[in-house]
Amino acid sequence: MKDLYLVYKNLTRKKLRLFLTSFAIFIAFLIFGAVTALQGALNAGVEMSADNRLVVMNKINFTQPLPYAYVNKVGNVDGVDKVTHANWFGGYYQEPAQQVITLAVDSAHYFDVYSELAVDPAALAQWQANQSGALIGERLANLYGWKVGDRIPIASNIFSHGDGGHTWNLTIDGIFSGRESQTDTGYLVFHYQYFNETHTYGGDSVGWLILTTEDPSLNDAVAKAIDANFANSAAETETSTEKAFNKAFIEQIGNIGLIISSVVFTAFFIILVVVGNTMVLAIRERTGEIAVLKTLGFSSLRIFTMVLVESFLLAFVGGLLGLTAAYITVEVLSGVFANFLPNLVLDQDIVIQALGYMLLLGLVTGMIPAVRALRLNIVSGFSRD
Amino acid sequence: MSDEILFDLKNLAKRFVKGKESISIFEYLSMTLKKGDFVAIMGPSGSGKTTLLNMLGGVDQPTGGEIWFDGSRIDNLREGALAQWRANNIGFIFQFYNLMPMLNAHRNVELPLLLTNLSRKQRDQQVQTALKLVGLEDRAKHMPSEMSGGQQQRVAIARAMVSDPKLLLCDEPTGDLDRQTADEILEMLQLLNRDFGKTIMMVTHDPAAAKYATRTLHLDKGQFAEKELAA
Amino acid sequence: MRVLSQSLAVIVMNVRSLPSRLWMSLAMVIASAVVVAILLAFLAMAKGFEATLEGAGSEDVAFFLRAGSGAELNSNLSQEQVNILANAPGIVAEQGKPIVSAELYVIVDGVKKSSQTEANIPLRGLNANGIALRKGFELVDGRMFRPGTDELIVGQGVLNEFDGFELGQTVRFGQNAWKVVGVFSTGGNVFESELWADIKVLQSLYNRGSTYQSLRAKLAPDASLETIETFIANDPRLNQDVQTESSYFAEQGKNLQYMAIFGRVISAVMALGALAGALNTMYTSVAERAREIATLRAIGFSHVSAFVGTLVEALVLSTIGGILGCVAAFVLFDGLNVSTLGSSFTQVVFRFQLTPDLFLQGVIMALIIGFISGFFPAWRAARVPVVTAFQSGR
Repeated sequence: MKDLYLVYKNLTRKKLRLFLTSFAIFIAFLIFGAVTALQGALNAGVEMSADNRLVVMNKINFTQPLPYAYVNKVGNVDGVDKVTHANWFGGYYQEPAQQVITLAVDSAHYFDVYSELAVDPAALAQWQANQSGALIGERLANLYGWKVGDRIPIASNIFSHGDGGHTWNLTIDGIFSGRESQTDTGYLVFHYQYFNETHTYGGDSVGWLILTTEDPSLNDAVAKAIDANFANSAAETETSTEKAFNKAFIEQIGNIGLIISSVVFTAFFIILVVVGNTMVLAIRERTGEIAVLKTLGFSSLRIFTMVLVESFLLAFVGGLLGLTAAYITVEVLSGVFANFLPNLVLDQDIVIQALGYMLLLGLVTGMIPAVRALRLNIVSGFSRD
Repeated sequence: MSDEILFDLKNLAKRFVKGKESISIFEYLSMTLKKGDFVAIMGPSGSGKTTLLNMLGGVDQPTGGEIWFDGSRIDNLREGALAQWRANNIGFIFQFYNLMPMLNAHRNVELPLLLTNLSRKQRDQQVQTALKLVGLEDRAKHMPSEMSGGQQQRVAIARAMVSDPKLLLCDEPTGDLDRQTADEILEMLQLLNRDFGKTIMMVTHDPAAAKYATRTLHLDKGQFAEKELAA
Repeated sequence: MRVLSQSLAVIVMNVRSLPSRLWMSLAMVIASAVVVAILLAFLAMAKGFEATLEGAGSEDVAFFLRAGSGAELNSNLSQEQVNILANAPGIVAEQGKPIVSAELYVIVDGVKKSSQTEANIPLRGLNANGIALRKGFELVDGRMFRPGTDELIVGQGVLNEFDGFELGQTVRFGQNAWKVVGVFSTGGNVFESELWADIKVLQSLYNRGSTYQSLRAKLAPDASLETIETFIANDPRLNQDVQTESSYFAEQGKNLQYMAIFGRVISAVMALGALAGALNTMYTSVAERAREIATLRAIGFSHVSAFVGTLVEALVLSTIGGILGCVAAFVLFDGLNVSTLGSSFTQVVFRFQLTPDLFLQGVIMALIIGFISGFFPAWRAARVPVVTAFQSGR
């Protein structure tokens, strides 16, 4: 396209303005990308939940335990396929600040229920036979550089070990990975049996139960049946879908997240409005030149296209650079926060959304002056100055 | 000089409506322009000189009457067809040169050629020829801001000439220039008229400029008062 | 003096012509308003955190947790340990009884008004000493719970943010029903996000035997934590960490402060973007008026007046924006009650606070934006060549 040179010259005629405009767009999309990724990370648990998985908690609160006997009782409820359970261990490695999410689980069924976790059958068998063994998630393994066969001391900030101290020495028998990239693999599991025998707190209690139903359509009925089963007992239960539970947990972080993101998105749009305004005015300044082009015989449609191409270029140059910077930022942050934001990724959805906004920015800022150029009467174009 | 008629204006009328008032610039204005003419149009401010020029250039539409160009009617053409017609037939020269500030002389002159199917090489060649014609071949890489008014106007003439149009329309081409530079520009227009056979219509305030023309028309109160000058 | 009066004339002229350059002026005002509003939102949030957490602890209260547990939820103490610690050196006693409060809390579910979802609330068991140790404690409604009964009092934050805790209501957590008999305030700090009941009742209802999670003790003015630490180290039955209550909450507040830091980073980056927009606007404004400026210079105005005129124009616009931003932040955020998950896994209710010093910061921010986005374009305005006035439109 011969006119591309003209577009290029128009765009670069005021270098400072080009820089400032692109920079503002750059910032807007940098923030957009980073904050959307952050939001996505917080919501990832909800997105990744399995349809037919339910969690059973103590009705008082999920930090209250349930009797071990519930495992079998829940397993006998109609419509329940598999049941497993877990206890929160409050684990850390060397320093309390180096949190290692550690769960004491039922080694026989845990990986049946969490079918999205892939683990080598040989490693699984070895772990099941090794009382002080542990399986760790891929992300956790990468974080600390742990390998199969390592013997690692995991301390608890809740429990005391029977032989004094708070540390359990665990041998890594295998590493599990997620079948999808967003699956959380940032934690460690070890034997509930071992945990129960070695900690001093006593009592055969489990933290919560996780079960799968035979079919997602049975979810409601199964949940009701379980809760009814334990109604009026010492430990009443509350059964919800994994999705609902994860969602409620995120809700706990609460409206503060909502406030931050709405403030940020408002700012994002306002920056675009301010920038868009300058872009529109920048082209309006050139009314006289557009009139000249028209007198020379350039058709209105051709000028219309040129103006539009110019604003698209501007929107995409700044926007794509910003998105790239956001990608890098997110990559860096996901390394730093691997522990408590395991799913921090700038994924395809965000890129598509951002591209959509760039398109919109280019369209809106280009359309106003382009239509004006299209309709511009040459005579009035000259009489402007 | 041939007797072929290039422009034929028949009972041209132009009214502006401003609010409830309607201002008539002219009514029943008729004239003909022959091929090879160099016509100067003079008249007081507000007499409608520029409006007339704009209508001849297909930039403004009359509210009544007809404009015939080389045997076809142009006042009823649509905007797109008019643009095409302008590109093929008309070269414009403005009082304030109207060069694109971000393009160098070469690129400015090249603009009309972007509307043709010429190759890059052909375009470059034609631009060079045009710049040579106006004596600015060594200024091709200069930006408008680096040139004097006279030089800018010569670039503008090169731009008007480069696509070899039949007609040059000049709106106060020397209005922004000193006497000596103005004379140089006018001599150049005269040369284009005499040696290259370009038909030229020029609106001017300046009686000295009008002397370079072969014919001078006085436009006053919407009517012509023709005065032939000895060439 | 001449420079001053000239500048004044140019300023008046520029400011008067602002409405005719409506869109440009508006862009500048909006850019400045956005930066200020965002900054204030995050500052108000940080202020709220501060008031909630850092305002909670006292300097003269010693706070004991099991070593390494870091937070109350993870800690535990036996009755025996409590008894020994109560007699540690430096702890104030009245009529032979040390002023200590051994406390326990369990997390219960409440339904948030804002989202209608369940969220964690701490239900704390304490004794009369414990209540006396909270500075700023005040019963705003109803009465105190009677020891040995299933009565509780509710913090004002919980009352505001959660359903069903009104005075006289009965609330159920699992099998246990509690009666709300009072509403208390502790001056807006974190304790208002809690429910309080008698410690003994809580221990028995939640099968905790005679264990506790934390111990608070009134420190004598001359007490030293080191002496207490030595006391703990010398007794094999003890394994506690001790710190002042205020330093404990300062530590707890760090987690929430991350959010404030995050906010500051975001608003700083956003400010850069908006600044670019504002600069652009001012440059364009100067370019548009180049002839006007040159004409003034031709008439005899100094370049100083051209500089000052443009700078003041930018300052006026950004200040208008700053004020708008302050108003917007005040309307949207001041007094906004929000709750989030604190580091001890329970909801912390806090309130955005926009104080006069924050507004001052907002206006200063607006002036900085105005100055930066005005200075460089003003520099350019001052250097517009006079000859521009005599040149044609292009």
